[in-house]
Order: sequence, then C-alpha cells, then structure tokens
Amino acid sequence: MDAFSSCASPRTTDGTIALSNLEAHIDGLELSRCRGELDSPAWSELIDLITLRAQIRGRIADYERASALAEQCALDAPADGLGLLTRARTRAALHRFDEALADLDSAERFGSPDPEVEAERAAILQAVGRYDEALALRRTAAERRADFESLAGLASLHAELGEITAAETWFDESWRCFRSVSPFPIALLEFQRGHMWLRHGDFKCARQWFEAAWGRLPAYAQAEGHLAEVEYELGERNGAIARLRRLASVADDPDYAVQLARMLAETDHLDEAGMWCEHAEKRYEQIVARHPAAFADHAADFWLSVGNEPQRALSLAKLNLKVRNTPGARALFARAIIACGDMPGTRQRH
Amino acid sequence: MADHGAGPRATANPEIDITDLFAFPSPERPGHLVLIMNAYPFKHIEATRLLFSDAIDYRIRVRPVRIATTGLGAAFAVGDNECFFSFTFVVPKQSDGKLTQTGTCHSPLGDIAVRVGAEDGAHGDGVRVFAGCRLDPFFVDQLFSGGLRMTRKIPKITGVNSVEGQNVLSVVVEVEHAKLFGPDAGPIVAVIAETTTNGSFRARLDRVGRPEIKNFIMMDKAADAVNRDLDIRDLYSEEDGFKLRPDYLGAYRARLNGSMAVYDSLDGKTDWPLDDKGVHPLTEMLLADFLVVDMSKPFDEDGYLEIERAMLRGAPHKTCGGRWLNHDIVDSLLTILINNGNGPRISDGVDQTAVPASRNFPYLSKPNPMPPKLAPLVGIPM
Repeated sequence: MDAFSSCASPRTTDGTIALSNLEAHIDGLELSRCRGELDSPAWSELIDLITLRAQIRGRIADYERASALAEQCALDAPADGLGLLTRARTRAALHRFDEALADLDSAERFGSPDPEVEAERAAILQAVGRYDEALALRRTAAERRADFESLAGLASLHAELGEITAAETWFDESWRCFRSVSPFPIALLEFQRGHMWLRHGDFKCARQWFEAAWGRLPAYAQAEGHLAEVEYELGERNGAIARLRRLASVADDPDYAVQLARMLAETDHLDEAGMWCEHAEKRYEQIVARHPAAFADHAADFWLSVGNEPQRALSLAKLNLKVRNTPGARALFARAIIACGDMPGTRQRH
Repeated sequence: MADHGAGPRATANPEIDITDLFAFPSPERPGHLVLIMNAYPFKHIEATRLLFSDAIDYRIRVRPVRIATTGLGAAFAVGDNECFFSFTFVVPKQSDGKLTQTGTCHSPLGDIAVRVGAEDGAHGDGVRVFAGCRLDPFFVDQLFSGGLRMTRKIPKITGVNSVEGQNVLSVVVEVEHAKLFGPDAGPIVAVIAETTTNGSFRARLDRVGRPEIKNFIMMDKAADAVNRDLDIRDLYSEEDGFKLRPDYLGAYRARLNGSMAVYDSLDGKTDWPLDDKGVHPLTEMLLADFLVVDMSKPFDEDGYLEIERAMLRGAPHKTCGGRWLNHDIVDSLLTILINNGNGPRISDGVDQTAVPASRNFPYLSKPNPMPPKLAPLVGIPM
C-alpha cells in the first residue's frame, strides 16, 4: 500500500500567517473579555481558539487557561447550551470524560445543536474505548453530511482501531472534502495519520505525515516531537536529539524531555539524560497533581521507562485504566504490573 | 450583513469570507473605475496584526455588459471579455520587530507590487492599488434585519450598528476604464469579487456580487417552496457569478421567489405581484448577481440598483449605478423589497458608520486600532 496519499496536498495558508492571526485573535478576545464585552459565542470562540493553540504549540498552560475560562463561563451561565458544550470540550481535553459527557447531556437539554453535541460525544466515547458507540455516531454524522469533519472523525476512529486500510480511505476522503485554506485542520489530520503509522510500526510512513504536518505548521510541537521520534528510529539520531533539545527547553509539557532523556541514555550521554529525566520528573509531579487523569498515561510511561519507578507507574496506569478502558490503557497497566513484579519497590536511575 | 458570514463555509473560515464588494466611478479621478473587495471580518483583533493568506487569490472580475432587454424580464447581456485584478500575498517577513507583508496585483495592465498597509498604495500604468486593514464600511442593525426575517414583521428600531468598530482586510483598485476593454467596448461594466484557492487546484471559496443577496434573501428557508432544510448559500457561492450552472438554478429561483414574496407582504400590500408561475419580478435580475456600473455617468453616492430598477420600469437609467461605500444599502434594499418605493423608506435606524469613507483614494477609512496589544497571558489568571 502506498501510505502517502496520491491526493494532491491542499494548499493552505502559511503557518506563520495563520499562527499570527490566531494569536492576534486570541489577544483581542482576551482584551474584550477583560472589558466585559464578550457574548456567549465570543466566549466559546476564545476558549476554542486557546484550545487550538494548545494543540499546536503543545502548551499545557493553554489547556489550563481554556479550562479555567470554560469553567467560569459555565458558572456564569449555567443554562447556556453553548457554554456547556464548550466546557465539555475542555474537560475532555483534560480527560475528565465523565464530567464532559454530563456537560454534553446538559448542553443538549439547553438547545445546543444536535450534530455538534454528537460529534463531541463520539470523540469522548472513542477516547474511553467505547468504540461501537463511537462508530455508530461517526457513521450517522457522515451519512447526514459527508464533510471534512465527519469523514475525518471516521478516519481517526478506524486509525485508533488499527484498521489501516479503512482509515486511509477515510483520511483521503476527508482530504478531498476540504474547502478552506486554514492549515490547522489539515495539519491535525496529517498528525493523526502519522500517529497511526507510528503505532503500526511503519516509521517511514509516519515520518512522511509528521513532516507534512510540521512543514505546514512549523510551530506544531507535537508533530515535530513525533517526527524526532521516528527520525531516531530510522537512525537519524543526532538530528532527532537536536530537535528534542530545542523542544524540551521551551515546552511546559515534559513529554519532550522524556523522549530526549531516553535517546540520550541510549546513546551513552548519561549525564545529560539524567538532567532531562529530573526535569521531567519534577514537571510530571506538578501536572499530575493538578490534572491526574490527563497526564496519568504519559506519567506512567515515564516512570516505567527512564523514570524507573514501577510502583508509581502502576498507580497511575491504574488510574488511567479507570478513566478509559482502551487497549492502550490495558497494555500500559499490564506493563506496569510486570515491571513491579520484576523489581518491586526498587528504584534505579540513569 | 452584506455578505459577512454568508454561508456555513464562510462562517467557519473567516479568512475566505468576502464581506463586501464596491464598484463606482472615482469621485476624484473621472474616467477611473474603483473596485473594492473586503474580506476577513473581525472585531477582536488588533488592526496591524492581521495578515492576508498566501493561499488565497483575492480576485475582482470585470466584464463589459449591455442592457439587452427592459421592462418585465429585463436582462443584461454579459460580454465574454474579462479583465481581472488578482491579488496574491507572500509570507510576511520580520522587520523592525514586526511582520511586514507584500503582495502582487496581477492586472490586465501589468503586475504591481504592493506593500500591505502602505497608505499611498502602489501605481502601475493606468492603475493604482491598495491592500491592507481598514474599518469595515458596512453598517446594519442585525436586530432589525434578523428580527424582520424571524418575526415576519417590521421591528422597532434600536439603531445599533452591529459591525461598529469592526475591521476588514481590503484590496482597492482604481483603474482607467478606457484601458480595460478598448475603445469599442460600451461604458457599462459588471463586477464580481471572489476568493479562490491559490494552488494548482483552484476552487472558488466565496463569491460576491450584490450585497445581502445571500443573507437577507437566500438565508430564509421557511418560505422556499422546494428546499426548506437546505442552506443553499455555499452552493451559490461556488458558482461563476457571470454564468450560473443550470443544475441549481431552479433551487435558487425558488429561494428568491419565496423569500422576496415574504418581504413584499410585510407592509400588508403587494408591490411585486408574482406571475402565474410564482416568479417574483426581481428574481432574474438579482440572479444576475454582479454590480453594474455605467462609466459614462458621473460619480453618484446613491446609484445602487438604480440601473436595474430603471430597466424593470422600461426607462433609461440616470446614474452610474454601482455601489458607493457610504450608501445605505440596507435601507435601500429593504425599501425596494417591501414596498418598491411606493411607501415610506424602510430604515433599520443605522445610516452610517462612525467614520464614513472619504472621497479620496483608498476611500476606506483607517482601521479601528483597538484592541491594543496585550501583555502575554500565561496560565490561569488569579
């Protein structure tokens, strides 16, 4: 299979322009909010734009900011369907899935449009491993209106299920339905496609899609982080480490530091690996304390790998499994149990 | 609102959203045609920080037209010749701590390099162009116009300009009319604005001719005898405004006939009797959806739709037609639709923007500088 689609890549607005416009828009809305000038749609717009920036820049501070604004918005207007729908998105982003689903029920009662609520519900059901229910909703949405969003939703679900052929078909179809020039939705889709190939173990295909996403949006931190990961696996170790050094030094997400520490340790740069490992540990302690569900999986993975504290990993993997019973969560939990069996209570550092 | 957010695609993608098109003889340079396209409406962005997309071709198309028939069934004959002014922009560069963007206007008189925001614009042979952020010249009270559609009654006036202080990205062309189509061409031209993709695959993303065709008239599904659950505006925007495909013409006609009949009923009398097939007298004229300017007539602030209405009456037109920036098209259009000028002027109570346009190039008012830049915000505010 030719994993890199034969579809012509949509030309989108340059990443510098798009990000500048996004930042300017957020700043303007923030100022208007300070002056008390925002109506409900503008509040939601602000929160959604900050969440978008969080996805691109990979900044945890942005997720927190969006969440804080959404909580305030819903508190001020508890019967506003749009506010509840927006809060559901921010809660889901922090893996507060049960609360997010409850918000969606309320949003529906208070008149939020059915397709928007169902799209959010499908995304959450997919995230928690209720794939059959998610698939039914995704299919209904695509049958109702086969547009970029609905087809991308189907693609992401099949990708998560490891159904590569179906996922590729829907990725292509959604691409064909793209009728805009915004780089954000296309780059996010390319990232998902790369992630699917990464999980499938095809680093070359993964690299093409991560490169496409990062090329479209050079500020797309997660795409560049995963690009470094596949470059490393493909033997381009120095380049990968250089990328991650840059990302880890500016990011508030410790994931880049973890990847960097692992690569440095594997290439015998043990002192620097230890430094990044400590950096990641401190940061994970902070963010897990604030948002345990959101970072349980990544933190567990850290303490199972370079963090080397299996007991700590086990409790987080257990929490993660409680939050979402997915194959990935089950595998992480199993790894933690095995690791605890191998070296109970011990701690070895690089 | 004129063409702001006129359809789901434009609403979801403001960078492709053409808000307005204006065309008029230059008030300061007789014999010159002025063409203005506004796009990307925003209220909450500092004016200097917004940039044109490098993936969009901002295009204004001009064709010669002549009046083919008058009276009921009046129509224009659109010529095959076409001149277009296509603005494309490049990725901005950092300069003195801020991003500076440049672009090119590809015109029938040659390419002209333009720096975004340069007040004097740029000159070529017989053509002058401007590109940059300006104050949105449109004005409307949406409570009035929306209330009218929702309640099927003429609402009370609140007089609030719903787009007060809003900015847009504008491209302006002032071109010597005689250089466009040669000496044998007539004086009347038709004008359309489009945003299209700027890659090897070209797709029309938005298209505007006359203001409020899509929002005031096409948005109202309830009176449509054929499609009551279809937002038809995205389909319509994809069309070539000079040559609508026959595939959807019936759907567009049904939407216009039904919607305009509702407007006509609002004052309790019929000023636009439908024919025996239910066709509104304005339908075919408005589906020829372009601005029409007669360059043989002098600049006139209030020429909007005058040529078309004169044609329907079977009388010669008196003005240049087109559309001037400060003309209150909301009042004009509502009055035409509701009473055809046989009753009081229907007004939404908003008659101008806070800073009306000037009669000097680039005509549009400077942008609202607010909101000013914020200090960076990090994390959860205390």
